[in-house]
Amino acid sequence: MTNLASAATTEAQADRAKEQAKARRSMVILYVVLTLLLLIYSLPTIGVLLTSLKTNAEISREGVWNLPDSLSLDNYRAALQDGNAGPYLINSLKVTIPACVLSIVFGVLSGYTLAKLPFRGSDILFIFLVAGLFFPPQIVMIPLFRMFNSAGLYDTLWPMIIVHAGFGIPICTLVLKNFFATIPTAIREAAIIDGANEIQVLLRVMLPLSLPSLAVLATLQFTWIWNDFLWPVIFTRSDEVRTIMFGLASLRGQYSVAYGTQAAMAILASIPTLLIFIFFQKYFIRGLTLGSVKG
Amino acid sequence: MTRSRHIWAFLFLLLPVTFYLVVVIYPLFSSFYFSFTDWNGFSQDYSFVGLDNYKKMQTDRLFRNAIENTVIWTVAAIVLPTAGGLVLALALHERGILSRLFKSLFYLPICLSLVVVGQVWIWIYQPDFGLINVVLRGVGLDNWTRAWLAKPDTALQAVIAAWTWQQTGLAMVIFLAGLTAVPRELTEASQIDGANYWQSVRHVIVPLLRPASIVVIALAVINSLKSFDILYMMTRGGPFHSSDNLAMMVYNESFQKYRMGYGSTVAVVLFMITLVVITIYFRQQRGLEQLYD
Repeated sequence: MTNLASAATTEAQADRAKEQAKARRSMVILYVVLTLLLLIYSLPTIGVLLTSLKTNAEISREGVWNLPDSLSLDNYRAALQDGNAGPYLINSLKVTIPACVLSIVFGVLSGYTLAKLPFRGSDILFIFLVAGLFFPPQIVMIPLFRMFNSAGLYDTLWPMIIVHAGFGIPICTLVLKNFFATIPTAIREAAIIDGANEIQVLLRVMLPLSLPSLAVLATLQFTWIWNDFLWPVIFTRSDEVRTIMFGLASLRGQYSVAYGTQAAMAILASIPTLLIFIFFQKYFIRGLTLGSVKG
Repeated sequence: MTRSRHIWAFLFLLLPVTFYLVVVIYPLFSSFYFSFTDWNGFSQDYSFVGLDNYKKMQTDRLFRNAIENTVIWTVAAIVLPTAGGLVLALALHERGILSRLFKSLFYLPICLSLVVVGQVWIWIYQPDFGLINVVLRGVGLDNWTRAWLAKPDTALQAVIAAWTWQQTGLAMVIFLAGLTAVPRELTEASQIDGANYWQSVRHVIVPLLRPASIVVIALAVINSLKSFDILYMMTRGGPFHSSDNLAMMVYNESFQKYRMGYGSTVAVVLFMITLVVITIYFRQQRGLEQLYD
């Protein structure tokens, strides 16, 4: 009896071991396939990075898609000096930071109000404010151009700040209204009974609680506004107000500019969003995946 | 108490709502208005032309072409990133520590600007040293090589492929988030019942990913309707307008040909298409809510 039982256990153990080995093997195969796939998938990114580090002599000899013989930072120097990347980067910051802050401030105000100070019609107002999330910017481009032109703001950074702040309202309202709705109303009422007014409740009680949501929005908004290209094309003309993405795109038109410089400029233009990607990945992903999980 | 609450609500909403009205809503109605005019973009005067712009559109070959390309792009957006993202998400969900690194690298392109994406892909399609032609020559398929972006029959597809490369990462991230909501007991139970991995994917996981799929598809469609940056970078809608979509056509008519009236008309059509998409999206969402209640 005991023998039989122990034989059964060893058999079961052998089965389990076999199964584990099989699982391990399929895992190895999966990762080999994934690694190959990732390599192909990353080729464009690797290509631009390596090209930015090659000498122009090598690029004209062997093209863009070879491994570099030696590494040099000359292209970065060229991007900053001939490509004028420095001022373009500063212009991009001058647009991105205020627009980012403004849209989030607007989102806090409207999100809090719609979640915690409801009134008749506030649900409809919410849908109205969020609907803009879906609008392609091209449908409002012409009137906005006219508006800023007649206000004398054409060819300045202002139109971009204002438009990005406005187009950020839907996403910021959506995220923050949903967030504030999860905070118990009792917290607000307790603070009011203690003699705080609404603005104190918002700033001292609610805002500290909403920091993670603000981080989500800051990473999303920064990335979108920084990467934008349409509005600079519509609202600017001169070199002095050019953003980095517009600067990068206009490099392409100048045939005298070497590929190495273009690559270096593309990397410089991507560094801020890459930093966000590396350090705030968690918040960035949370923003991207909003609404994809029920409940 | 209620009264002061309403006053605060009004004060808090004043700025955001005003801003939104000025930047988004007013221009939207204004586009409708200009679609009935012949405004050229710089002169003070313009006149009303009634439905002329809309009539002109019906016979405009460029408009027809832009609509067709927009439809092609939208269909590609529904199928390609969704399929690619789903496969990647299934391959990387719960696959040990290493999978975190893989996930990050697969979605890295999302944080790149479409200007940068366009730039890199120009080098992939470049006729002489471009990656595709180099590889084709390398394997002896010399007669398959071509100037991908300069030929009317491949330009649009080439741009869509580059765009898909970036969008796939986005779809993957959303599907991965959806997968975390699939209870492991369910897939395990189905496998104990004798289902193999593919059967449990098909009959258990994919149906539960419906909310994520709706978001993925809606985002892809909306993004495809607005795509302009990458097109401007890679082909400017050319050669011979072969890769124009509606967004590019609005730009061309308004800011290249200075026919802002007609450009507005095209913008209105783009808005109508967006409205249809939004309606379908909210219907689907509502269907889901009923399903879950």
